[in-house]
Amino acid sequence: MYTGPVGSASVFQQIHDYNVHVDRDDVFWMIPVRHDAVVVDFDGSRARLRVRDLSAFDDHDLANSLTQGLGLPANPAAMPPTPAIPGMFPVHAKVSFDVEWNGVLAMADIENKAQMFKGSFLSTEATISWSAEQAGFRFESDMPPDRKANLISVLGRERNGVFFS
Amino acid sequence: MNEPGYSPWKKLQEHWLSRRNLIRGAAGTALGAGLLRPKLAYADDEDGDSERAACVGPNPIPGGVMGLAPFGIFIHHNPLNPAKAMADINDPSQITDFDGFVGLTHIRGGGMGTDAATGAMTRLAFQADMGFSQGKFIGTDGQQHRGTFAFV
Repeated sequence: MYTGPVGSASVFQQIHDYNVHVDRDDVFWMIPVRHDAVVVDFDGSRARLRVRDLSAFDDHDLANSLTQGLGLPANPAAMPPTPAIPGMFPVHAKVSFDVEWNGVLAMADIENKAQMFKGSFLSTEATISWSAEQAGFRFESDMPPDRKANLISVLGRERNGVFFS
Repeated sequence: MNEPGYSPWKKLQEHWLSRRNLIRGAAGTALGAGLLRPKLAYADDEDGDSERAACVGPNPIPGGVMGLAPFGIFIHHNPLNPAKAMADINDPSQITDFDGFVGLTHIRGGGMGTDAATGAMTRLAFQADMGFSQGKFIGTDGQQHRGTFAFV
């Protein structure tokens, strides 16, 4: 979440970063949810993810999320130079979200031997409605969600790793 | 005296690694597992033994990207890039040894933040990189499971 205008996403203007943290096995931001939280109609090019009151963390910003609360030093070599981001400890939060993938924009069948994944993938339109609540603060995204807010979204049926061959 | 070639980001990486080990150690002892990581649940293994599978998670994809360039924090995730053709995307899954459906989004929108104490409301921007994986996977126990995961 950013204090800049809608469409902006500068880490230096970020004031909230909700995620479920990297797990002990280094899986990035994934959390088990109920099976019925996800409904997929791949042949109909649609899917929906709905979760209410998921326990998550607010790391304040992406830098603190990825450095586990260390923040970042200033980078005087950047153009323009960037300021330091102070370290922050995560805060407990609850998030709810309703994400819909619907409407094909492009499609591709992919077999990537280097990354060992293959499958059918759709670039789709997508919308999200979401909210967050924590001590002293709550947020609600615009309703109805703006279809033009989607930059890129993907729906896929894939196999990777040992299921690649 | 400054050590030649000892950049701030090198120092950050070393600090990050020691902090990460410290946090992991602390999370396993005094702080408990609940502080830094929500509880694993809802993954069923192939024979329906959900009690055993409740503690079993997937493994990460081997690939990913360096986040926060030039600081170089590796993450097992391939962010979507609107400039890339669909046929050239990297693996959108965060978990490996996986067979199923994946969804990923990269959405920027707006909403209202409310200060719960004062009621003051502020217009805020957001970026949502979210998704899901649903299907079968080989867990960290080497066994096959079925599960549904949200990418948050």
